[in-house]
Amino acid sequence: MRSVRGMRVVSVFAVGGLALGAAACGEAPSDSNAGGAAADKYTACMVTDVGGIDDKSFNTSAWAGLEAAKAADSNIDIKYVASKAQADYEPNLTQYVNQDCDFVLAVGGLMGEATSKIAKANPDQQFGIVDAKLPESNVFPMQFDTAQAGYLAGYLAAGMTKTGKVGTYGGMKIGPVTIFMDGFADGVAQYNKVKGKNVQVLGWNKATQNGSFTNDFVKQDEGRKVSDALVAQGADVIMPVAGGAGLGTTAAAQTSGGKYSVIWVDVDGCQSTPNCPALMTTVVKNITDAVKDAVVTAAKGEKLAHDPGFLGTLANNGVSLAPYHEFDSKVPAELKAEIDKLKADISSGAIKVTSASQPK
Amino acid sequence: MSTMTVEELAVTVRPGFWTRDRRVGAGAVLLGLVAAVLFGSLATGEDARFTLSEDAGGAALTIDGTVGAILFGMVAAAAGAALLAGLPKRWFVPLLGVAVVGVVLSFLCWQVSAAPTGQNFMPLVNIVRGTFILALPLIFGALAGVLCERSGVVNVAIEGQLLMGAFAGALVGTIAANVWVGLIAAALGGALISLLLAIFTIRYLVDQVVMGIVLNLFAVGLTGFLYERLMQPEAAKYNQPPRFEAWPIPVLSDIPVLGPALFRGNIFLYLALILVVVIHVALFRTRWGLRTRSVGEHPTAADTLGVKVLALRYRNVLLAGMVAGVGGASYTLALYTFSKNMIGGKGFIALAALIFGRWSPTGALLAALFFGFADQLGTYLGAIDSSIPSEFLAMLPYLATLLAVAGLVGKVRAPAADGKPYIKG
Repeated sequence: MRSVRGMRVVSVFAVGGLALGAAACGEAPSDSNAGGAAADKYTACMVTDVGGIDDKSFNTSAWAGLEAAKAADSNIDIKYVASKAQADYEPNLTQYVNQDCDFVLAVGGLMGEATSKIAKANPDQQFGIVDAKLPESNVFPMQFDTAQAGYLAGYLAAGMTKTGKVGTYGGMKIGPVTIFMDGFADGVAQYNKVKGKNVQVLGWNKATQNGSFTNDFVKQDEGRKVSDALVAQGADVIMPVAGGAGLGTTAAAQTSGGKYSVIWVDVDGCQSTPNCPALMTTVVKNITDAVKDAVVTAAKGEKLAHDPGFLGTLANNGVSLAPYHEFDSKVPAELKAEIDKLKADISSGAIKVTSASQPK
Repeated sequence: MSTMTVEELAVTVRPGFWTRDRRVGAGAVLLGLVAAVLFGSLATGEDARFTLSEDAGGAALTIDGTVGAILFGMVAAAAGAALLAGLPKRWFVPLLGVAVVGVVLSFLCWQVSAAPTGQNFMPLVNIVRGTFILALPLIFGALAGVLCERSGVVNVAIEGQLLMGAFAGALVGTIAANVWVGLIAAALGGALISLLLAIFTIRYLVDQVVMGIVLNLFAVGLTGFLYERLMQPEAAKYNQPPRFEAWPIPVLSDIPVLGPALFRGNIFLYLALILVVVIHVALFRTRWGLRTRSVGEHPTAADTLGVKVLALRYRNVLLAGMVAGVGGASYTLALYTFSKNMIGGKGFIALAALIFGRWSPTGALLAALFFGFADQLGTYLGAIDSSIPSEFLAMLPYLATLLAVAGLVGKVRAPAADGKPYIKG
């Protein structure tokens, strides 16, 4: 009997894990417009990553880009399908190619391989991909040098800290995440150099590329766990680069009574989180405008150039630092001016921000 | 490696001498020596400070890194040697404890002293508090498991009960703008999943494990759907749960380290600790407990003696759902807003804690704390720029649990009738 139970327990863990994994992403695919819209319209179709359309991060902002494109040009029709697992990428892309979509948008670097394969098989189809660059010339790459904006955030954090320590952590040790952290660390280093200070960065070591991670983009308790540890080590400004898991940090920061504050990433946190009072600013990755511009341009019949593709920088507003919102009165005017100056220097190329994860 | 082989051989040749105590002792000696040499050589001459506060300030226990790493390694080795010498059985657990703590301290002396300048400290209050916070859902979940399984119903649906509790607490708490109403709703939410489990497994004899999995999926699907339809479009109306504030307990909160870590928490931490005691006493000291255990071990015999087996199982399963539901509320009525699948597998770890804790409430508490500590330790090491890769740190709690279950717990036995439906007649 015992062995039977043992087997059961094992199978429960296995099946339970699998089922949860699948169910977590189990949202019904929904098209905003029923298929088979007027044939003469330009149809832009988006395949989401497994985070789903409501991830308050890159899927949401990419979809917002399509909606903006539709608003800008009434001849554009849009729809999306949510991938429930990585295995869905190829079927979803193929499905849209077969539905005669004019523009198929793949969201997220993880979809690179699947997109590459489908693009090769359909050389006349226009594709677009966020956060990756593929060798196929019919896939328009949209990449973001978020290290530049992260640099400004690091400088801001170093200028605002009272403890002399600032922290950051990531959702997973992958390029699109650690690039924020690289920029942040360099911004702090720049502040130290200019001011002769010694502000420390906790949670990320750019030289060894090792640091604190939640290994998750959803669980708020994981995010809060990591930021609690960073705060205990003395950090009073935290930048979570962990999607929804970072909400644990913003919630805890707001109840801490000003003990520490947060720098949010991707989409302005005052729109995407309930904790605006705890947010110093946001390192914005402007996927929305990049997607909108690409689709509107393509709908006009212009060719999207694979090289150089789109690279979001501070110069073209592809990445930026959001308004300070409730911290506007707390950030000294002098520091604001220095950050504006830095932004101009980075845009003009006078200061080079480097990261191992930078898009090439 | 060669010594290991010799030992292994010796085990088969002379089982009389190589008792379990001696084998563990030999392992501890080896581990302690390795710790002393390896960690001692890696540690720096910096002081390793273990502060008694939440941060770098306040009183601290300080020891030179190299000295500490060697010293604690030797302590562990000495404890192992004592075991090897063949002390009486009652010394086994204390000595094993000394050995494990010694190795961990030796390791910490290395890590803390090798941290970047200004980070050579470990805030003990933060570590203890973090351990309990991380263990909290596991304690509630494992207690829900104890209540069910002791009466012979396998509860795989802990995950679903936690999630449903978190959801119901957030939704009703927000609408009523009252934490207590939210808490009651959370208990009822957990009980709803339990009710389904009870009806299908007790009345309709569906396989309990299969039913549990189905209910977990049901909970994820239902809360996910309602989240998208209600909470997401109108977060202010449906997903801004009120919060239980921290309730410092007078006197107790002044105890060094444990006071600020444990007795300045919110209602959920106190509830969890009280429930562990209450359920433990009830299970082993009351008539209800005796009946529950007899139904879990031998329902036919219990029935013969006049215990209403099915009614008792219904009651216990529902109770378990309420306990887990309250555990779910510890997410949404303390700090977070509800998000899809926010429990994220903690219910399954609670199930492991239940087995690891040998189906006893106090055992489950210890197992949950063990897991919480390993998790907290990994997080702490990440924050001080440890030379250990973060991928490995993420693995630490699971690795520690695996070692503990495989090496230290020994044989565990489930209630004999666990998982078997009872058919009267």
